[in-house]
This record gives sequence, structure tokens and C-alpha cells, in this order.
Amino acid sequence: MQTLLRRIKQVPLRPYTRVYSVASTRSIPSRSKTLSVIDQLEQDGARILRTVQTRVEERDDLVASSLDDISSPEDITRAKRVKELEPLKMAWDEWQTNRQLLRETIPLLNDLDPTMRALASDEYTSLIASLSHSLSRTFPSLLVPPSPTIHMSALLELKSGVGGSEASLFLGDLLRVYLRYAQVMKWKAEIVEKNESDGGGVRDAIVEVKGVGAYDGLKWESGVHRVQRVPATESKGRVHTSTITAVVLPLAEEDAPEDELFSMDDVRVEVMRARGAGGQHVNKTESAVRLTHRPSGITVSMQDERSQHQNRRRAFQILRARLMDRKLTQDLANRRAERRDLVQTADRSAKIRTYNYVQERVTDHRLGLSLMNLTTVMEEDGLHEFIDAMQRNHDESVMEEIIQDS
Amino acid sequence: MPRQHHVAQLFLALTKSIGRQSANQELNWMKRATHAGCLKEMLERRVEGEPLQYILGTQPFGPLDLLTRAPILIPRPETEHWAIRLAELLQPTIERPLSVLDLCTGSGCIPLLLCHLWARGSTRAYGVDISDHAVQLAKDNAARCGIPGVASPHHFSNVYTPYLANVLDATFGDSLPRSFDVITSNPPYILLNEYHQLPRSVKDYEDPRALLGDPPDIPGTDGLAFYHAIARLVARDGVLNEGDQTMVVLEVGDKQAAAVEAILKTEGRLNRTEIWLDPWGKERVVVGRRK
Ligand SMILES: C[S@@+](CC[C@H](N)C(=O)[O-])C[C@H]1O[C@@H](n2cnc3c(N)ncnc32)[C@H](O)[C@@H]1O
Repeated sequence: MQTLLRRIKQVPLRPYTRVYSVASTRSIPSRSKTLSVIDQLEQDGARILRTVQTRVEERDDLVASSLDDISSPEDITRAKRVKELEPLKMAWDEWQTNRQLLRETIPLLNDLDPTMRALASDEYTSLIASLSHSLSRTFPSLLVPPSPTIHMSALLELKSGVGGSEASLFLGDLLRVYLRYAQVMKWKAEIVEKNESDGGGVRDAIVEVKGVGAYDGLKWESGVHRVQRVPATESKGRVHTSTITAVVLPLAEEDAPEDELFSMDDVRVEVMRARGAGGQHVNKTESAVRLTHRPSGITVSMQDERSQHQNRRRAFQILRARLMDRKLTQDLANRRAERRDLVQTADRSAKIRTYNYVQERVTDHRLGLSLMNLTTVMEEDGLHEFIDAMQRNHDESVMEEIIQDS
Repeated sequence: MPRQHHVAQLFLALTKSIGRQSANQELNWMKRATHAGCLKEMLERRVEGEPLQYILGTQPFGPLDLLTRAPILIPRPETEHWAIRLAELLQPTIERPLSVLDLCTGSGCIPLLLCHLWARGSTRAYGVDISDHAVQLAKDNAARCGIPGVASPHHFSNVYTPYLANVLDATFGDSLPRSFDVITSNPPYILLNEYHQLPRSVKDYEDPRALLGDPPDIPGTDGLAFYHAIARLVARDGVLNEGDQTMVVLEVGDKQAAAVEAILKTEGRLNRTEIWLDPWGKERVVVGRRK
């Protein structure tokens, strides 16, 4: 079964429910249909095509106006821009060529010679496939800039909110979900800090998830997660509602040579608790460390490791992640101020998802998406359905923004 | 479940002796160290007063994870802090190597950290201790960290050789294997009258020889016997190299820095001295240089 035609269509629904619906037609082309195939493709992809065309024209103008020898800084910027647009120009040329070929092929579909008809039909099929691939994949991938955070690892902080020990129990459950997800994605997850609660749950936890795409994937999990279920400890069978909060921070490469995020002079390092005479007089473990970044007021306390050195390393890692997070948020805000940006940032105090055990249902409030897959989310790899949907939704918003801008 | 009840009781007792927060943390660490034995036993030993580091059998020291074994002194965070600082201060290379002598080496933590952090093939270290158990532990730790005890012509590596000797012996300086660029030491520095006030986890478990600054056979009550001996040692010709990196780095007890500084200047002929603070703000290290 081959997809002959992929139609790209934008259906504006509620803010988060824009979707590209991808339809495929598999019917043998009849004459009346074939005539309109190109029109159909161009009509569906009109906005993308217009955007691509504008960019290609921009490139051609630049090429026409540029001189042979590059001397001024403007020349260099111009040359860089031309180079940037090169792949798009090539994709556009390919689109034009295929389009022309398709026009020439269509009359041959009704040729008197059956061999010719068969050849034409094959050609037709592959041309349609190429054209729709250009529209649905090549152009969008060249227009949507690659994620600047794709190489970043993630720091996932989970904190229990309302609901007492039941919230802690659920936090323990979600922690397992994320550890499993990391495993499936071939990321390396390590629990940095974990405070167990008396009732067998986990009050809070920090997990470091290392690997390409870890931050880009997990960042969608930031926000308040709500659970509705009958706690194991509830004798009367009443449904309780409790919440936990997830914060996902970007983790920059630890041994980045020069730290652009902060200067050491701005960080106050304190050890916790007094230690009397210290040294040989005391052998109690005192490894807790607190950092204060003066310019931002961010403080990080770390006490989970047995040595000060390790806690200090961890604390700096978290500080770096918080500062990187601020920087990314700031970058996004600047971008939004510059151009009308439709891409939404996560509001960490907003409720993003509800896990309803009674109805076996998980609802993502940002997507307006409910799936009856609670067991697969909690026990298998169902989480990826939500993360993938968020990612798709994001890419579409970016695409739309780009199209509207041009 | 009577057994669990028992663990809970033990935990409560621990909470009373070291505070809720510390007890929680230590419980976590015990749970993680499943290799070290069953939780109940660990808690029992801890409530008895045994140091956590002996129960778990290891102690992190910078990026290293060292073995701990009673009664050899457990590496302290103050020592970890200055050893890292020293490692960052001097950065020997194959072309500009350094020789190191660590007096009273104990677990070997100080020279092992330097050997680990400094470039391969840049460091030749020796360690001296009076206790053969300590020398054995230092050797075991070196093996654990992948630092050989003898130089091999076949591959570049830093080398650390711990050996048995008495630093206080008048003839100690005669038998040194070579001359040195850096001499480090965290010698015993606790006063006898303070010793009796020490927490049980220190007094009852760690070797008194590792702690007492005035060994029984030496007159003195200021806990500075080792500093006098070290100062006399470094004043001898041929012990310290002439070089701009040459230095003596000594950990000191609370309020001993000024006295040790004076000893290094007068008896050690080290004119340039410096005091380093520990993370708690105490004067913890005296550094002496010839010029
Ligand atoms: C305070 S501990 C220091 C151990 C290790 N350097 C550290 O920082 O953890 C002092 C060490 O000195 C050793 N020691 C005591 N008297 C000594 C002597 N006269 N000669 C050599 N070593 C001695 C003890 O056995 C003990 O291992």
C-alpha cells in the first residue's frame, strides 16, 4: 500500500488542538481526477508553497545583487543567508521539476499504447509521492528550525502537592513511569535525590536523564499532574484527588569549558550546620551544601550525597540547569516580543494532566486529549502517546507561525 | 511483624542521638549500601555509636570512593576540601612532574586524590605511616583507584608507594627514598585533654595513634609534636627540592594555625607561609614555601 497523496490541512480548533490531518488516497486515477491533482496539491499546500517561494525569491535577489568579491560585513551576512537558503532552493527546484514532469505525464495516462500507459502510470505514482513528500516533509523540515536544545539532557524534579501520603504514593508511581520511559528512549536515568515518606511513597525526587532529546522530550511534562483514585489506605472506598508537580530543567554539558551562565564570583557556597572544632575531632557526615547565585537569587541545597564534593557538583549542576531554564524562557519571550509567537510555554502552576483510575482515563488538558490508556501509561509505555502529541502540536504551531510571518 | 518494629525502634534511637534530619539521611545511605549487610544490623551498629563510614565500608573523597576500615582514620571533609584545592593549585605535567611525600598517610586519601586528579605520568608519590594496618589500607585503596605502587616502564601512570616508618623517629629523614617537591600531612593533632571529650564514634572507634598530637612517649601538651618533627625534617638539606612549586602543606586543628605557622618559619626555614580556611571558616591548613 503506498501513500499517493498526503494532504496537509490545518484545522484551527481550540488553541492546542491544531492538527495536520494526513489523508491518503489510493484510488486508480481517472481522467477527471488526474487533471486536478496538481491543483489539489497546490491548493492544500498553498501557504507552505508561498512561504517557500518567498524565501527562494529572497535568495535569488541576494544572489543577483551580490558581488564576486566579498568584502564588507554585509556581504558576509548576505553570503551566509544565501548558503542557509540553499537546501530550500534545491527542494524548490525539485518540486518545480516534478510538477512539470507530472503535467507532461498526465496526458500519457490515456495513451493508446498499453505499454506507454503502464509506464506513465508508474511515473505518475512516483511523482505524486515525491510531490507530497516535498510538501509534508521536506519543506516543513527546512522551514522549521532544528531544536536548539536537542542535545540537552534533563533534570526532572517531582514534588508532591496536595493530598498528603496519597500524593507521595502517586509520585512514586510516576517516578517509575519516567524511569521506564527513559529506558525505552535509551536515555540514562539516575536518581539524584529521593526523599521517601513514611507511608511508603516518595515525597520528592530529582532524576537526571541523560541523552540526546531527553530535555526536548520530557519538557512537556512540566506542570501539575492530578490523580483521582481510591488510595490503597482508604477503607471506605472513597475517591481522593491529589496532585504532584513536575519541573523539567535543561541540563547543559557539565564540563563546558567556560561557563556562560554564571561567574563563580557570583555564587556563594555555604556548608550547612556548624561542626564544632571539625577535622579530626568529628567524624559525623556533614556533606550538605547550599549555593546562592546572587544576581538571580536562586538557591540550591543539596544533601543527598555522602561527600561535600559530590553535593557541590550536584548543586552546581542544578544551578546551571535553573539558569539555563531561565535563559531559554527569556529567549522565547524575546522572540515572542519580536514576532508574534504562537508557541506556548508551559505554565508550571497549571494543571496539565489528570489520571483518573476509576475511568481508566488519562486526560491531557493542554491538548484536550483523553485516552483510555491509564494502565499502559502507568505500567507500559503509554506516556509516549502524550509526549508525541505535544511534540507534534508544537511543530505545527511553529510551522504555522512561520507561514503567518512570511 | 516484630522485626520491622525493631528496625523502627532502632531508627527512633538513632533519631534521638543524631537528630531527625541526619538520621533520615543516614538511613537512606544504609538502604543504598545493600552490599554492606542487612539494614537492622547496620542500624544496631550505628545506634551503638559506630561511625557510619565503617559500617558502610567506604567514604567518598572527591571523585574517589575509598575503603574505610576500623580503626584507621576516616577521611574528613575538611581534608577533602584542601586536597582538591591543592590539586587545582599545582598542575604538574609529564614535562614538569612533581614528587610528593605524604606523612601520616592513613587511608592514603591525600596522595591518591592528587594522583587521580593530576595528569598521567606527572606524579610520583610516597606515603608513610606507623601503622601496618594503615599501610595495608593505603595499598588496597591505591589498587582500588588503579594507582600502581611501582613505576612501570611500559605504561605512563602516576605512582603511589605507601611504606611503614615512624615520622617522629630521629633517623626518619636518613631513609627517605628521594627528595620532594611537595610534602603533605594531616598528622595527629588532638590535645590529650580534648581527647577525653571526643564523641564516642571518634574515641571508641578510631585509632588513638591517629588522633593524639602528643604521643605518650613524647613530652608536650600542645598537640604539636608532629609539626616540630616535620619542620625539622624539611629544614634538612636534600629533603625539599629547590623549585618554584616546592611547598609543605599541613592540616592543623582548631586554633593551631598560628603556632604551626611559627614552627614552619623558625624550625622549618620556610619563610613564606599562608593559611587556608576550611568550608566552615576555620583556619585548617598552613602552607609553607621556601621563597
Ligand atoms: C589523622 S590521621 C591522617 C590519615 C590521613 N592522612 C587522612 O588525612 O585521613 C594520622 C595518621 O598518622 C599515623 N601516625 C601516627 N603516628 C605516626 C608516626 N609516628 N609516624 C608515622 N605515622 C604516624 C596514624 O597511624 C594515622 O594513620
